[in-house]
Amino acid sequence: MLDKLKELICQYVEVNPDDITLESRFIEDLGFNSYDIMCMLGDAETEFDVEIDEEEIMKCKTVGDLLDYFGGQKNG
Amino acid sequence: MLKNIGGINYDCYPLTPAQLLNLALIKDGATHEVENIGAGQYLQLDLNMAALREALNRAVERCESMRLRLWKDPDTGEMWQYVVPYQNEYFEYYDFSGWKDEKIKDVLNKWTSQPFDTFGGKLSRIVIITLPDGYNGFYYNVHHACMDSSSVIAFTRDVIEIYCSLMFDMPYPKPMASYIESVKKDMAYEGSKKQKKDEEYWRKQYALPEPLYTDYTGPGRLMELRRKNNNPDQKWGLLSSADGKGNTITYELDVDSTMKIMEFAKKYDLPVSAIILHGIRTVLAKFNGGAEDVVISDLVSRRSTLNNKKCGGVRMHCFPLRTIMPLDTTVLESMRLIKKTQDEIFIHSEYPPLQCFGELAQAHGAPPEATYASVDFTYQPGTLAAIGETLRGINFKSWWYSSGKQPKPMYITAMHRPSDGGLNFYFGYQTACATPEEIEFLYYFTGRVLFRSIENPDKTLQEIIDMT
Repeated sequence: MLDKLKELICQYVEVNPDDITLESRFIEDLGFNSYDIMCMLGDAETEFDVEIDEEEIMKCKTVGDLLDYFGGQKNG
Repeated sequence: MLKNIGGINYDCYPLTPAQLLNLALIKDGATHEVENIGAGQYLQLDLNMAALREALNRAVERCESMRLRLWKDPDTGEMWQYVVPYQNEYFEYYDFSGWKDEKIKDVLNKWTSQPFDTFGGKLSRIVIITLPDGYNGFYYNVHHACMDSSSVIAFTRDVIEIYCSLMFDMPYPKPMASYIESVKKDMAYEGSKKQKKDEEYWRKQYALPEPLYTDYTGPGRLMELRRKNNNPDQKWGLLSSADGKGNTITYELDVDSTMKIMEFAKKYDLPVSAIILHGIRTVLAKFNGGAEDVVISDLVSRRSTLNNKKCGGVRMHCFPLRTIMPLDTTVLESMRLIKKTQDEIFIHSEYPPLQCFGELAQAHGAPPEATYASVDFTYQPGTLAAIGETLRGINFKSWWYSSGKQPKPMYITAMHRPSDGGLNFYFGYQTACATPEEIEFLYYFTGRVLFRSIENPDKTLQEIIDMT
């Protein structure tokens, strides 16, 4: 799942996939702006086949937060 | 789909929702120059003309949408687009070095007012220009169905980087992305799971109580419509010009004031666009008797992926950004609600905008030409300033020229100046819908509200309105 998310992230920002970790913050570390993040999340929803709650997803600040959220959605 | 056009077979693609949005404006605006984008990019540098011609040619070769043609099938009336192969071009050259700025602007505005034959031929014109004070560069006029302001900036950057690579041994820029691939992705949206989710989102918005039209000149226009239609409860407005005649007024915000906005954005983790939108929204509330329900047409660039940033074309969609706030809402709460609403729009911004506005009007029994938003707004974050960084101290001027027509009644663009990073506010307006005095008034109050808000983030909207 992390590899798939890394692949998606690299479509949005110029970053080496190897430099993306669970602790990477979307804005501060990866260089996303709020518009890019929302669009990436829209794509992730389709890519990972999960339902995104717009209020909840906005709390995800790091790659790990997002994977946890998707994991919870899948299991829920 | 393969189509035979003028005896040659071309791979043709349907027009995208963003292109249809633009072409709908021609229908409303009656004349095709409403769709022209005229821009000039000039460096204070003795340019090598042969290298500039080479850079321009290479940039056109790398940018599919600069070679885009539109075609209307004479039998079915269906509209199609296709890309013609690159052909080396000898661009015209004009020397304006002994001319006054105003006279030059008159000439280039006049060039920009020359309409293209939308469905019959080439949709761009490039001219190499020399200006007074040692500035050299190029002017171009392009049809809005081929390029938008983001692609104009990306194209300009490509030309400058290719030129710098040819002349100064700087690295050659990475290739542009394919415009046709972006069109194919847009085509794949139709019938997709994403479309279904977006449709669900927008339907929820239409199901809310009818919004209220808030005009930038106050409630007079809505009152007049209510009297005319003998309907004291009417909430929708009408704002359009039959001929699309218009102009642009530019206001330059100084660097210190721009920095105050940027620092506030950073401190409170807010996008600059939400802060400016808060300013415009609060002014609309103030001008309309403290209205709590305000809609602004928010333009979304749809250039989030790396490919979309470099594929050219027109991708901009616009959607109703509606916020309902009582007047005891604080400045920070207002900005955060705007950000939240904007974020939702971003997620659902693939939805066809014409369809969205049409469905919103229909849901409330309003005519298709009805509107709830009097202002369109877009913020361009720092892209021209990035060109300034590339040039490392070389003075750079970027001018936008007017075709004498405007696609929207009131279209505010906030963009950073390449020279110093300060914000420019461009007020594009239709002369039948606004006067320069009304625009001055709108800018003045937007500025007052913005800075009073930044200085007092915990004050309520009512307090900000009273202070301004």
